[in-house]
Amino acid sequence: MSPLLVVDRLAVDYRANGRTVRALDGADLEVAAGETVGIVGESGSGKSTLGAAIGRLLPRTARVDGGVIRVAGESLFELAPADLRRVRRERLGFVFQDPIASLDPTMRVGRQLTLVLGRGTGSGDVAAHLDRVKLDARTARSYPHELSGGMAQRVAIAMAMAGEPELLVADEPTAALDSQVREEVLDVVFSLAATTGTGIIWLSHDLAAVARRCSRVAVMYGGRVVEQGPAAEVLGRPAHPYTAALAGSAPATAARGTRLEPVPGRPPMLTGPSDGCSFAPRCAFVIDRCAHERPPAVRVGDQDVLCHRAGEPATIGQGATT
Amino acid sequence: MRRPLDLLSKGGLGCLLALVAFALGSTVDLAGDPDAIVGPRLAPPGPEWWMGTDNLGRSMLPRVMEGVGTTLLLSCTAVLLTAAVSAAFGILAGYRGGYLNEVVLRLVEVLYSFPAIVLAVLVAAVLGPGQFAALASIVLVTIPLMTRLVRAAAVGVSQRDYVTAAVISGARLPRILGRHVLPNVAGTIAVQGTYALSVGISVEGGLSFLGFGVQPPQASLGVLIRQGGSYMIAAPWLIIGPGTVLVVAILAINVFGDGLRDRLEPRETRSLT
Repeated sequence: MSPLLVVDRLAVDYRANGRTVRALDGADLEVAAGETVGIVGESGSGKSTLGAAIGRLLPRTARVDGGVIRVAGESLFELAPADLRRVRRERLGFVFQDPIASLDPTMRVGRQLTLVLGRGTGSGDVAAHLDRVKLDARTARSYPHELSGGMAQRVAIAMAMAGEPELLVADEPTAALDSQVREEVLDVVFSLAATTGTGIIWLSHDLAAVARRCSRVAVMYGGRVVEQGPAAEVLGRPAHPYTAALAGSAPATAARGTRLEPVPGRPPMLTGPSDGCSFAPRCAFVIDRCAHERPPAVRVGDQDVLCHRAGEPATIGQGATT
Repeated sequence: MRRPLDLLSKGGLGCLLALVAFALGSTVDLAGDPDAIVGPRLAPPGPEWWMGTDNLGRSMLPRVMEGVGTTLLLSCTAVLLTAAVSAAFGILAGYRGGYLNEVVLRLVEVLYSFPAIVLAVLVAAVLGPGQFAALASIVLVTIPLMTRLVRAAAVGVSQRDYVTAAVISGARLPRILGRHVLPNVAGTIAVQGTYALSVGISVEGGLSFLGFGVQPPQASLGVLIRQGGSYMIAAPWLIIGPGTVLVVAILAINVFGDGLRDRLEPRETRSLT
């Protein structure tokens, strides 16, 4: 059986004022039906672009420079408008970062839900969908500005999940929320997705939080997925130097008294396809070929890793997370 | 929280409603028949003719009432047409962008480059003088600004997450534009509508004053000022009456428009951060 989502060597450029910025530089990703995948990366690593590309929601300044995305076998960039609409409606759901902005300020919550649910929806259906995200039926009569951030995000989740999509893309859904509300909202998303069999792609920069919730983790760097595999493996035995550095710099995973290791240097700003490994300038294990040879995907344990030195003993994954 | 209109713009709205009531009075001949000759020619204001009489001995009061009515009706009709056209093209251009956006913007710029009264005279020359020319002039003069501002507002709204959410839920274009974009640019349309209305009143006044707009014997503010202009020294009340009403109407609309803008724009969504 083919996976639900296949992203194959996707490259996306942004062009503005004569400048080109490469946001995705050959990203690969596979998500099976019902799977929960966390995509982790720094700002500018391309994770939001990847998320938008999965819904074919890239802004006008973006240009796909190669690669394909298949949703349930259908190539997204080749679909006719009507088919694209069908794929979006039946298979995809999106939750965004700013919950208030993802609701239309001119409409009551119930009305918006009714629009998403389609014709012939009664107030009972709206109440049922609100109940699925643990909201009172009275919320339907509120305008978005009357809701708290957590409530608004639940409404947004209810709307995204209303069509029981096969894949829910959540782009940092809790970044704008208070830390107490975060876990509640995540509980709602993951339990609801589990009951409907919806797969989740959760974009975040919090490696540890993602690893706790998701079965698989993909780490992005410089527009590529540099490591993907089972969450526990990626976090516990990172095979890519960047993942190892990321795990070592996360406050949540560090034991008390251990020094956090920042990742040295800054993330790259690509203007075209990178010649070699984009992490090479910051990498502690860099060798000559890293600078001018793009690393192919290598299998290390249960992980797929883009690194020339992956799998070499006594290098990566030893120091950083002990 | 929605702020109520401030006192000044409430006053403007009151003035405007009073003018509408004043104009409606002429439909029931409240102050008499505007075309009836009731007294001596060029009589100053007095108890029988509160605003004096004109060069034919017609009472000015019912004529001004009719004139305001004609001007307001013409301007309002034109502004509604402008709003419909501008909303349609502005929203489409703002949402779709690309080629359509360029075409709409360039067309609007061509219209924008004409001074209002020159464009109006041009329209009158092509269509022939009359009410229809005045209507078409107002529409063409007010379309550029409103289209541009609606487009700009639509560009902003189109990038909002709720529009993206609607797209991903499989909504068709009419629903996205009609249910999400239009309501969120409606404030801009309303505010620009008030300004377009005041521009419309002055365009009608100017065009009819030049003789290309509303034709006598039908009264409009422009027609009355034109007719009164010939007797400005002997009978200044002929232009003071309609002139004052014109000024009050434009001022009231602008003040009300300002209040409306303060209340409706910028209407940003509340952010948590």
